[in-house]
Amino acid sequence: MSTLIVIDQPPYGTWAGREALDMAFSLAAFDQSVSLLFMGAGVNWLRAAQQTNGIEQKSVEKNLSAAPIFGVEAMYADTLACAQYGLTPEGMVAGVTMSPNSAELMHQHTHTAFAG
Amino acid sequence: MTSIHTLHILNKAPEHPRTAECMNAIRSGDALLLTENAVLALSILDDQAPMAQVYAIASDAIARGFGQSGTKATLVDYPAMVKLTAQAQHLISW
Amino acid sequence: MSDNPLQNFTLVITGAPYSSQAPQTALAFARAAISAGHTLDRVFLYGDGVHLASSLSTPPSDETHWPKEWAEFLEQNVIPGAACIASALRRGLVNSEEQKRYQLPANNILAPFIIAGLGEWVEGTMASSRVVYFHAGG
Repeated sequence: MSTLIVIDQPPYGTWAGREALDMAFSLAAFDQSVSLLFMGAGVNWLRAAQQTNGIEQKSVEKNLSAAPIFGVEAMYADTLACAQYGLTPEGMVAGVTMSPNSAELMHQHTHTAFAG
Repeated sequence: MTSIHTLHILNKAPEHPRTAECMNAIRSGDALLLTENAVLALSILDDQAPMAQVYAIASDAIARGFGQSGTKATLVDYPAMVKLTAQAQHLISW
Repeated sequence: MSDNPLQNFTLVITGAPYSSQAPQTALAFARAAISAGHTLDRVFLYGDGVHLASSLSTPPSDETHWPKEWAEFLEQNVIPGAACIASALRRGLVNSEEQKRYQLPANNILAPFIIAGLGEWVEGTMASSRVVYFHAGG
């Protein structure tokens, strides 16, 4: 069994992305196979150099860097969405795999779930 | 009853970004079930024509004035929704 | 029916009552599933969905009381219902234990709902044959 947790909402403005990340970490804590897919506006999670002091929220960059340590197998970024938001591999956090066909990625996993 | 590979359950209005994500993810052998605000897609479905069998929750459609949908979608009740989820090998709630 | 084997469902509700239709759609689905002979392994409330477990919801008397409807359904069919603890505490849903721990003035979890960790959801995905999510629409 493998689960793909999808984040398609941008960080900070809503909580759905953080709650999706918690779902992924929980599955990993139970030794379940889990990966993350960032698509749509959700790819903005992956932008490097986020400075969040001014909005009194923890930077999601730190959460993401913990993903491999917690056992999340892969972090995918939808190629088309990255292009739309001007995100290049150099401008992104480390450890991201590009996903040129996210529909195919979903079909490869037993479960595909959003947090909200 | 043929088996469904993935049942896509969509409850967002047509303008919601997730509707486009859902439509892009549909493949032949999948089925699409429109619930809640997603039944509004019944008025534009013929143009989009996804490669899948399309169902819509009848009570949601009737509540929004789409009782006589006139499209290729099949109006279903909740027992039918349960059957669809049982027939499908995979479920995605968009 | 041979082409429609009995399933064991886990339902996850992430949309709140009175700001989304999610708890209603989920309840209609749950009732139909039980009527057809399927079982519900558990119901898990996540994100804004935890508001369904509030004992303080007070809709006008001519509107359906979704938390009560859900609580009665769970009790009648002996189905476990849990609200995610992290989602619940952030949104002001607290049981007596957490009330004591954080020295809060009240608790407001509607029985039979309990507060539990995300592990309850993980176990649901492992124990059941189908997991159905009910998100807020839009």
